[in-house]
Amino acid sequence: AAAGLCPGRALLARRRGALRALRCSVRGLAAGRETHFGFQTVTEAERREKIYQVFENVAKKYDVMNDSMTLGIHRVWKDILVHKMNPSPGTLLLDVAGGTGDIAFRFINYVRSVRERQLQQKLRHHQNLSWQEISESYQEDKFNLLGDSQVVVCDINKEMLKVGKQKAQHLGYSEGLSWVLGNAEELPFDDDKFDVYTIAFGIRNVTRIDLALEEAYRVLKPGGRFLCLEFSHVSNPLLSRLYDLYSFQVIPVLGEVIAGDWKSYQYLVESIRRFPPQEELKAMIEDAGFLKVDYQNLNLGIVAIHSGFKL
Amino acid sequence: GQGSGSARPQPLEPSLLRFLVCPLSKRPLRYEEATNELINEELGIAYPVIDGIPNMIPEAARTTQKQPPAESSEQP
Repeated sequence: AAAGLCPGRALLARRRGALRALRCSVRGLAAGRETHFGFQTVTEAERREKIYQVFENVAKKYDVMNDSMTLGIHRVWKDILVHKMNPSPGTLLLDVAGGTGDIAFRFINYVRSVRERQLQQKLRHHQNLSWQEISESYQEDKFNLLGDSQVVVCDINKEMLKVGKQKAQHLGYSEGLSWVLGNAEELPFDDDKFDVYTIAFGIRNVTRIDLALEEAYRVLKPGGRFLCLEFSHVSNPLLSRLYDLYSFQVIPVLGEVIAGDWKSYQYLVESIRRFPPQEELKAMIEDAGFLKVDYQNLNLGIVAIHSGFKL
Repeated sequence: GQGSGSARPQPLEPSLLRFLVCPLSKRPLRYEEATNELINEELGIAYPVIDGIPNMIPEAARTTQKQPPAESSEQP
């Protein structure tokens, strides 16, 4: 399995310092360029199609599979991401490849609790007011429980968004949440709009990561923050071997047993191996214009959070 | 349940209009409530809103140049 670290990564490592000349659909131009799908070599068009199918197939079982494969630890990683973000009420978040809503729901919970604390603080300082005045001040904020915070979930896959929207309805999330079908490489959002851009376990599936990073930069407000949560590289040799064993022996089997889909999970595991390691991704993020780029390893590098600012 | 064959099409979330632009030209769009589409007049294309979710993938857009029948786009 370790032999899979092959020259294909050189394709991804190509850093594009030059500006894109044309603002036309990239896919039309680059359909034939070679890239990888897991350990296979395919054209960019084929890769996009294959990845679309992977997520179409796994959408309904996505959450169950995440829990099984990571023994529930993915929830902690996502919690850490949102805590790192530390959003204050009024924050505008764009969550890309956010399909089933995990980050969006955590964001909403977080700003809600911050907001509640703000309101409690406010009430404590109103000790000398009459009940009438206190209740009035509470009424004002009653319809602003999120404090104008908003999250837009953008995903390229219809099935994933469908699952996300259903989950939202089921769990009672509606205010401050919207869904858009869009492509990370070609975002349908205006410049300088969002305070935070997140992409959790999504950037690995983007075919042109450089374009996605440029788009992230474009749509962020000046001062805005880019946050990427993604599987990364384990340098510890012992852990690396155990991780490989687990990845290649256990995960596809789980995929077959739980989702009836060995191949999609084979792809998942291979795509993790193909993805640039921490330093390389950091450099790509810097290439897109971000500053103060840094990363934080979780679980010894099984997962990493990269952060950068548009300054 | 929320099936794809719902009689009344879900309209677009109004707050999205603050952010949404055409992914190709990055220019503003006009929301046409009657057909539930986001229209780029300049390029003559319309992005459908399906189940309340705007489909902003260029391949999904239809051209508005001629007078096409007012039907919802086929899902790719």
